[in-house]
Amino acid sequence: MKQLLIQYRYRLSTFLVLVVLILSGTWLYSLTLAKTAFASGTLLLTCILILAAYQWRKKLSFLALGNATAWLQFHIFVGWLSCVLFLLHIGFHVPDGLLEFALFLTYSFVFLSGVLGWLLSRIIPYRLLSRGEQVIYERIPVHRRKIQETVEKLVSDSLKSEEGTAVADFYHKHLEDYFAGSRNQVRHILHSRRHRHQLAQRVVDLQTFLNEREQETMRQIADQIQLKDDLDYQQSLQSVLKFWLFVHVPLTYTLILFALFHTITVCAFASTSG
Amino acid sequence: MSEPSVSRPRRWDKPFSLEAGSEQEMTDAGVEELLQQPPFSEIDASGFKRSLPLHDILKNDARIVGFDEGDIIVRRGDWGNSAFFVLSGTVRVELERGESSLPDEILGRRRSRVKSLWESIAQLWRNHREPEVRAVAEVSGSSPPLQTRMTRGRTRIYLQEVSAVLDKYRTARLEAGHWFGELAALGRTSRVATVFSEGVSQLLEIRWQGIRDILRHDASGGLKRYIEDAFRERALAAFLRTDPLFQGCSTELMQRIVDQVEFQTFGNYDSSKPFKELNSNPEQNLESGEPVIIHEGEVPRGIIMIRSGLARITQQYYQGRRTIGYLSPGQIFGLDEIRTSINSSSPLPCQTQLSAIGHLNAVLVPAELVAEILQQQMTTQNGSEQSKESPARQTVKIQDEALLSQLIDRNYVEGTSLMVIDLDRCTRCDDCVRACATAHDNNPRFIRHGPVLNQFMVPSACLHCVDPVCMIECPTGAIFRDLGQGDIVINDQTCIGCAQCASNCPFDAIRMVDIRDASGDLIVDSKTRAPLTQATKCDLCIDQRGGPACESACPHDALFRVDMQDAARVEEVFAR
Ligand code: SF4
Ligand code: SF4
Repeated sequence: MKQLLIQYRYRLSTFLVLVVLILSGTWLYSLTLAKTAFASGTLLLTCILILAAYQWRKKLSFLALGNATAWLQFHIFVGWLSCVLFLLHIGFHVPDGLLEFALFLTYSFVFLSGVLGWLLSRIIPYRLLSRGEQVIYERIPVHRRKIQETVEKLVSDSLKSEEGTAVADFYHKHLEDYFAGSRNQVRHILHSRRHRHQLAQRVVDLQTFLNEREQETMRQIADQIQLKDDLDYQQSLQSVLKFWLFVHVPLTYTLILFALFHTITVCAFASTSG
Repeated sequence: MSEPSVSRPRRWDKPFSLEAGSEQEMTDAGVEELLQQPPFSEIDASGFKRSLPLHDILKNDARIVGFDEGDIIVRRGDWGNSAFFVLSGTVRVELERGESSLPDEILGRRRSRVKSLWESIAQLWRNHREPEVRAVAEVSGSSPPLQTRMTRGRTRIYLQEVSAVLDKYRTARLEAGHWFGELAALGRTSRVATVFSEGVSQLLEIRWQGIRDILRHDASGGLKRYIEDAFRERALAAFLRTDPLFQGCSTELMQRIVDQVEFQTFGNYDSSKPFKELNSNPEQNLESGEPVIIHEGEVPRGIIMIRSGLARITQQYYQGRRTIGYLSPGQIFGLDEIRTSINSSSPLPCQTQLSAIGHLNAVLVPAELVAEILQQQMTTQNGSEQSKESPARQTVKIQDEALLSQLIDRNYVEGTSLMVIDLDRCTRCDDCVRACATAHDNNPRFIRHGPVLNQFMVPSACLHCVDPVCMIECPTGAIFRDLGQGDIVINDQTCIGCAQCASNCPFDAIRMVDIRDASGDLIVDSKTRAPLTQATKCDLCIDQRGGPACESACPHDALFRVDMQDAARVEEVFAR
């Protein structure tokens, strides 16, 4: 934490200075008995539009508009600033009008999803690197299919070679469903390995009842279980990173629509001075 | 059951004169005739090994090629792999580089033009939905002004109006008895000038292994003297002066250095194959594959300055050797030892060992002369500090020696623009790939997949190598080094889809793709009806305003490009 504070000391001090300026500006403005909400609202709307512009920077990546890293840092900075403005704007109270309440909820979700996304983008990359092969998300089903085929072949070979049906029985009972698709997503997100341990234990329990060839087949299947589990892990965590954006971006546009509607109604029906 | 067996391929299984583009086989009679005339008659054949006689070298490593009026023989910027000797006729060498030299369009190159602001934005809707769309007129070669023709079994680029070219551009005439192209061939560097045929000419082309062997075994040293003199005379002083150590040298001392420098060549390859072998089996590199330039514990005879290729610095570590750094062209080895020797007045042996990765050319500047330079600098009181700190001098090092070793073993140190993704930061959002696609008519030029070294992934994207083996053997020169920026790019208008570059690239960074017209239909060969293919790869967004789109599109500062010759940058990025 200390390191983080040192790393971000310039941004943090700029942020604090801006917050002090906003607060004192609001206080001075309130002395004139004018409605501070108008000023904070205007600033807030500007912030929201700046925040949304980040998405457009992504689309115009081929122009010399500065690198996306700087844009993201700015986006985060403005995001935090908008939160201060938002609190000021609502006067630290949950609003009671229907539109205002919807606006309050939307902003809160956008803001919280932003914070969550920022945290996830810091935490998940480390985790992804810690387990399994580095695979492209879209190609995960292909890899999974290959693993499934390998296992099915091992099982059918074991049946052909006139061994017992133990391997095949085990497969149908415990593994068929496991290999059929992505499994244990929540556990992966929570970083639990219990399911993996349980499956491995089942394989070990069975080994004592098998002949040598069957044992070898089971060992190979166990390897595939691990591979598949790593793949599921990659998929679950990468899904979280992708899913988060599907929440944050549409909500931002909803927020802009609500905010514009709110601005129009406020401007149309209220005067700017007390 | 018997094992499948093939006989091991040998060096001369395929004589040069039987390779594509040759007109006739080199016969014994032809070789005898050559040996009667200078300079070959002056070569002392007695020093050649029985297994490698002069006659056989000429028979297998040389060929006679004919050129018609205007045929381009070598082009400025192309890969140099063989030298030429004019047997008859006249060839012209363009004299100036830069503005007044032959324009890129005439040489079969695309002039790289950065897109205007409007064109850049218009990519958003003008990019094709279909993959790999090309303008049919350009592919069919009907778009002027590039002229290619099939002459004597080879696709050649030619100048249509030779007399007009001679009027407009400054050229020098080379007649029978002259050599050219030998410096690029032996130095594995690009050609510095374009040479074309004036009228019909006949040349002897020798691949560089042949020249190398003649140089090695000719006891009279005629050809060796010729080539070394050429390098000494034309390029050596300028090359040495690229290092600050030599910058303050007096003219007289520089002349003595130029006279006494020794040329050294290490390693043994002429195609991308050994590169590929190195890549596929990195473990076996160190002791077996890399010739030692200076052993650890040996007193250096002088400083080694790398001309081309890369060198590895290692140190004894228990029973093996550990890699502690590498040198790239222009960098030097042995200076510290010589400097310390002067101060302590007893010779200091090297604390490390230097070996050649792949093929390497170097020059050795004798220790006495280096001592003289250092003394001269000390008396002028300005040089020693300055030269000690020169960034170009630095050995490229990384704290993590295992990582460094892997980067060298996999040959990534070749990259002048190596793409690296820090997986600790990468959120796998693929913004980089999407940006690349937008900048390339919706065709991404890399995939975010590749070997992982520590936390760094090196995706399959062109490295823009210092020694770009992909450029060897491209028949039309469609793949070339952009002379302005140094990037390796492919010209769609001259790529004939032969896949030579793709199979030569050791990093699988070039893909062959079926090309389509604007409506999405495959473009096919008018005779065979087979789909036409072309080579594609990362061009560092040469025509985009913002530079490499991938790098600037990454929001998490995870993707970066590294020039592996830049010691400071390499250290900085791999220490993150
Ligand atoms: S530099 Fe340009 S062409 Fe190369 S990978 Fe990046 S975006 Fe693609
Ligand atoms: S843009 Fe950056 S974070 Fe996203 S996939 Fe590419 S390298 Fe990773």
